[in-house]
Amino acid sequence: MFGFTLVRREQQIRGGQALAFAVGFVLAMIIGAVLLLVAGHDPVSIYAKMADKSIGSPQAWSTTLTQAVPLGLAGLAVAVAGSMGLWNIGAEGQIIAGAIAGSWVARLGPDLPGPMLITLMLVASVVGGGLLALGPALARAHLGVNEIISTLMLNEVAIRIVRYLVNGPWKDPTATGFPVAPELPEQAELPTLFERANIGVLIAGVVLLAFGFFAARSKWGYELRVAGSSAKTAEYVGISLKAKILTVLVLSGAIAGLAGGIRLGSASRIVEGIAEGWGFAGIIVAALALMRPANVVLVAIAFGAVRVGGVAIKGEGVPASIADIIQALILLGALGAAVFTSYTLTRRGAAS
Amino acid sequence: MRVLAVELDEIWKRFPGVVANAGARLAVRPGTVHAVLGENGAGKTTLMNVLAGVYRPDEGSVRLDGAEHNFAKPADAIASGVGMVYQEFRLIPTFTVAENVVLGAAPRVIAKTSVEQQVADLAEEFGLATEPDREIWQLSMGERQRVEILKALWRNARVLILDEPTAVLTPAEATELGRITKAMAADGRSIIFISHKLDEVKAFCDEATVLRGGKTVAESIPVTSLDPNRMAELMVGEATAVSQRRIRTDAVADDPVLSVVEMWVHDVHGRAVVDGVSLSVNRGEIVGVAGVAGNGQRPLADAIAGLTPVKVGDVELNGQIVSSLPPSHRNAAGLAYVPEDRIGVGLAPRMNVVENAMMRTYPDMGGGPLIDRAQAKQHATDLVEQYNVKVGQMTAPMAGLSGGNLQRLLVGRELEGDPTVLIAAQPTRGLDVQGVAAIQEILVAQSAKGTGILLISEDLEELFALSDRILVMHEGSVVGEYDPDVATRAEIGAAMAGATPEGTH
Repeated sequence: MFGFTLVRREQQIRGGQALAFAVGFVLAMIIGAVLLLVAGHDPVSIYAKMADKSIGSPQAWSTTLTQAVPLGLAGLAVAVAGSMGLWNIGAEGQIIAGAIAGSWVARLGPDLPGPMLITLMLVASVVGGGLLALGPALARAHLGVNEIISTLMLNEVAIRIVRYLVNGPWKDPTATGFPVAPELPEQAELPTLFERANIGVLIAGVVLLAFGFFAARSKWGYELRVAGSSAKTAEYVGISLKAKILTVLVLSGAIAGLAGGIRLGSASRIVEGIAEGWGFAGIIVAALALMRPANVVLVAIAFGAVRVGGVAIKGEGVPASIADIIQALILLGALGAAVFTSYTLTRRGAAS
Repeated sequence: MRVLAVELDEIWKRFPGVVANAGARLAVRPGTVHAVLGENGAGKTTLMNVLAGVYRPDEGSVRLDGAEHNFAKPADAIASGVGMVYQEFRLIPTFTVAENVVLGAAPRVIAKTSVEQQVADLAEEFGLATEPDREIWQLSMGERQRVEILKALWRNARVLILDEPTAVLTPAEATELGRITKAMAADGRSIIFISHKLDEVKAFCDEATVLRGGKTVAESIPVTSLDPNRMAELMVGEATAVSQRRIRTDAVADDPVLSVVEMWVHDVHGRAVVDGVSLSVNRGEIVGVAGVAGNGQRPLADAIAGLTPVKVGDVELNGQIVSSLPPSHRNAAGLAYVPEDRIGVGLAPRMNVVENAMMRTYPDMGGGPLIDRAQAKQHATDLVEQYNVKVGQMTAPMAGLSGGNLQRLLVGRELEGDPTVLIAAQPTRGLDVQGVAAIQEILVAQSAKGTGILLISEDLEELFALSDRILVMHEGSVVGEYDPDVATRAEIGAAMAGATPEGTH
């Protein structure tokens, strides 16, 4: 097409990924600017607004980081599994499972003091997310069942369960409109850290940094990468693949579950859409992080900023569709540009 | 003078840190079989990939029948009549021969029987024995290779590149291939034949071009002018001794460090692939295992190392029965294993040199759960130095290393801590002359330190040069044991082919 063809590079460009992201980002901004001009807006002031609302003030940062929490945890969940070559597509469901388990604890002990209740809620959410991943993990480790399918399908199960709960046994009789569960006790709400951010930011930050470090530097992380490289090599070295698959998938679910717990502690009640697509966004985060847990934290913050900026300009009279298109362009640009670290565009040979 | 079928002129191809082709040249006359010789890393494969449209040269020109071409992708080369048969076949196992042949180049309307008939006619024309309606998985390696050749002929290849085509063939199949290439050349096609084996080159080819260090050092010389020393000299650049018979300083003591007792191994389909093999290796002894590929050598090695379960029988390491222990425990008990599939089993190619070097020792790199990176790096540096591994950066992926360097690192890593027993499966296969010599030296030196070595090889020269005893495997059984000082190659060759054993069993 157009006389050009995509040719595979013989070796990836070193450090090319960061450059590719930058190029993709700039290209997306240019295309977005054209769209804004066509719609009759001044791109410069709109982009300035996006930047201001996402990273321009402590308040903006607090919003961005709050968005980055579920993105980062879901991204970490996918990346941990991905670094050994497994695909956890079930983070969405695991977030819901985490939130359900957290609510359940809060309903059991409504009079517990705040710190204890919050701790228990978060622990329960971790267990809940891990439990939802346990089935696919066991099936994959012992029967070789494809985890992509099983984790994906369990999302539907989790969505149906939360729908049942908020429409049935957990339905708030006083609520009007959309069915929701009753509010959690006041002390179950996560305390504020700064501006609009609560301590969920701190918890997720610690988990992301510690885990990123551990995965990159520990014997455990090393074994994970060997197993991801080749199952046969792992076996040869003496790494138990079954045990590794089991622990990694359950851990992945547990991390996503924690995201559910933190969302719950921020939203103060469970609703049908508690996961809001964070689990699926996590797959994009992990892909942008090249499946390396250590990269997730930066990608999540950048992604969070783009989302916050996109929402902010909707308030500036920019049509919601254009705001969404700009967000999508930036992600597409970053992902698409990554192709060029492995491929190069060449003019088609004249003599062929 | 007729126009040359292929003319590669001053081809340069650079990869990061490596110049694979530095002004390489190749000229092939139509209707001839042309050998391309060279060590691994000499640039043969790169040059062939340039001709086949896989790589674009940085400089230089590609001419076919006098016309210049600039291929952007393999499809362009195919359209211009260049076909390549790779060492790893690119066939769909569950498709039939005819389906594989016409795949991607089929007539718009496919009538199964007529396509099969057309494929059969084409095969007939060149005397390629094949059955178009059989599925690939049912075929032997030789038959699969003929399907690959048919694929190229179906696309009307005027130039056919065969990349080390005899590596997977039995001697009889290799002879047959020689006949087929001659038939294709007689039809006016040009065959480029990549090989390491002089006897084949002399038997099958008309002319030879030798590459060294990315350059052409001998262009289109008649094969009749080649002899082993001349060929080695051209390939390596200096006269190197063909591997010397290992001198055994003292008789090996009767002190078995590895005993395999009546061992049976089944494949995934429950078929016996090792049938009641018994063997032993003494301290400091090198026991060779000869056999045509696929006669149970690989499952034998895997079962001893613990990668494949032992169905019946025992593996004893230093008197301890290890048959049911996992691979890592056997390794800890003193068993080292250099597997046949270096890349897929012995190494993790996408990981870096440091990470590959510490595969056996990482649990000791740092006391806690974290890896002591300085220690790991030092360990890799020591290994690289001791075994003379040429690496660019220690943190670059392993996959960038040449075959010989990969194997030095793998063998070196396995010999750390002087194991009691080493299983070395095809340790020099595919390596260049210097690489082969280096690995063989390492094995001999290690046996002198007392390690008992089970050397599984398809290279009879190597087995004769290194072994204290040679066992021959055929269809999963050990069919004979020979003393390399007494036995002849003919005897062992006959046993490999399944003739009645005459060994001192």
